Amino acid sequence: MDVKFKPIDGNTPRYWTLVGILAVLALAGAWSTWLMFKQGIYLSGMTNRVPWGLQIVMAIYYIGLSAGSLVVSGLYGIFGKAEYKPFARMAAYLAMLFLIAGLLSIITDQGRTDRVFIEPFSHANPWSMFSINPSLYIGHITICIIYLWALFNEKYRLTKVASVTVVAWAIAVHSGTGAIFAFTPRELYTSPLLPVAFVAAALSSGAALMILVITALFKITKRHLDLGLIVWLGRLLAVFIVVALYVIMIENLHRFYLIESRHAAMYYLFGGWHAFLFWGGLILVGSIVPALILFKTKTGTSLRWILFASVLVVVGVWCERYMIVIPGQTFPPELFPGMEIVRSPLNEGIAVYNISFLEVLQALGVLGVIGCMFVLGLKYLPLAPAEARTVGESQMLKHMMPDAEVTEAAVSAEN
Amino acid sequence: MDRRDFLKRSGVFLVGAPCAYVLHVLPVSGARASSGHATATRRWGMVIDLHKCLEDCTACVESCRHENNVALHGDERWDVYWIRKVDIESKEPAVGTEESVPLLCNHCDDPPCALVCPVQATYRRDDGIVIVDHHRCIGCRYCMIACPYNARFFNYKENHDWHNKNYPKRSHGVAEACNFCAHRLDDGRLPACVETCQGIAGALTIGDLNDPHSEVSRLIADNPVKRLREDFGTEPKVYYIGLPGR
Repeated sequence: MDVKFKPIDGNTPRYWTLVGILAVLALAGAWSTWLMFKQGIYLSGMTNRVPWGLQIVMAIYYIGLSAGSLVVSGLYGIFGKAEYKPFARMAAYLAMLFLIAGLLSIITDQGRTDRVFIEPFSHANPWSMFSINPSLYIGHITICIIYLWALFNEKYRLTKVASVTVVAWAIAVHSGTGAIFAFTPRELYTSPLLPVAFVAAALSSGAALMILVITALFKITKRHLDLGLIVWLGRLLAVFIVVALYVIMIENLHRFYLIESRHAAMYYLFGGWHAFLFWGGLILVGSIVPALILFKTKTGTSLRWILFASVLVVVGVWCERYMIVIPGQTFPPELFPGMEIVRSPLNEGIAVYNISFLEVLQALGVLGVIGCMFVLGLKYLPLAPAEARTVGESQMLKHMMPDAEVTEAAVSAEN
Repeated sequence: MDRRDFLKRSGVFLVGAPCAYVLHVLPVSGARASSGHATATRRWGMVIDLHKCLEDCTACVESCRHENNVALHGDERWDVYWIRKVDIESKEPAVGTEESVPLLCNHCDDPPCALVCPVQATYRRDDGIVIVDHHRCIGCRYCMIACPYNARFFNYKENHDWHNKNYPKRSHGVAEACNFCAHRLDDGRLPACVETCQGIAGALTIGDLNDPHSEVSRLIADNPVKRLREDFGTEPKVYYIGLPGR
């Protein structure tokens, strides 16, 4: 399939205003990080009881979002759906940016940022998930660069190899990220299912984000995009949502069923305002509503509804990432089974974590950096396809929605 | 060199270099000796007799803070405790047991904190002491996440109180935990908490667990002892006499 790529013009004042805003965000994040580096990270909301805060939530969220490339590469690299190849460049570029964002979030979160580029290389502990994962991330970035190079230069065989490698490597990246938590002896962290749940949620957030980015880009630049491509991605997204929901359900049922972990499960599911994030954010808004939208033929084939569902998934998965990191820390470890601590100079009970303004600035800063790189990438690199058409689109769409007017649907995507 | 050769050699380098690197760092992970005094023949452990520990006494906490320049900011969110005293009570009101318990790093034989430290800043010395190299710690706080005993702390703020000029204070941004006063043990002295307690209640005892004739070995042999959450399998080396609960 011959696909033409055309960088966006990027000469309008609107474009440069966007670049400017993103650059200001990046500078604000850098300032916040510098302040914490000079004065100490007590300026964040983190405490002795909650030593991981917003930056870690954002880091694993970004890593998960990079799975869009996994979805697209998997679709044409493994399942041979050639019509998705036009998106491979953008997906790989985005994956690279999200991995950079994940690494940036972790780096700016360190107490001694000045040592981050020395000690992990000179004294690496190969058994630490914090050594294994950055190696996986850097490896993934490298593979994405090779993959992009192969795509830019139309190297067919290398593209094929790289697309399969990206899929395998990305699964390792997402499992490894889940293992950072799952392989530690904390009541609400320890779980062999967590890495699996992480992969499942990564696939949904990655697919949802790809839908949003592709549609936004094609709409803003007024290029042709066949609705069938998005409808199919939406269907896939619905399956990912259900799989993620299933794994999360089993994980929580298991914790709730066993007497020794029931107390922790009760806290996780009902014990505080984070329970609203779980039930409201992750289960209802992030999973059930978008799954219903996407599975229902009428809404599942309407671009507006698919976009709405994708936004819900992107929000829901953020809640899922928050639920991985924070409640596991605020819930106290049981040091004395059968006893309770009634007096201590420290808070030994349920801890509280309040996100500070400077932490938010740091998170926005990282977003600014990769936002700039993305917008500039669209202008200076041949990432965006000039158009995207399905192969035998009408048959596919007709099969999915026999009652709908195919031509109308395709036109509505263009408007 | 033709293209095929170049690709072949690049491949060998790309695969070989990381392998060589991993093989280079692999043997030293987990445990490593840093001090000439740490020997594999000795294994430091502590026994805490709760029958002797006085309820309102915090002399061990104060002496530790003074000896090791442990930061106290007046805010429990960021205060550091290498050793702290907690009062525990039975969850069953009819039992009515109450006890005052000193809590400190357990110097586990299989320390999860050292396992997860990405830069080997936390490690177990050959003599069993789990210690933090403050010059190497990058401040990732993974050790605090991994420690199941809440015995790890972090210097969130700069510590301005430098009581003991013979011992360094730490910059903000690095992890903290009790090190059994390794600098004192290496000099043949007792840890500050043990020395102080022996003049007051005699509840804390430290010694060589490998020596069957040491005071700690005798106490462990002669008394019913418990360690915190032995079910974690971390093999703590702090033993409690008279610890209530399951």
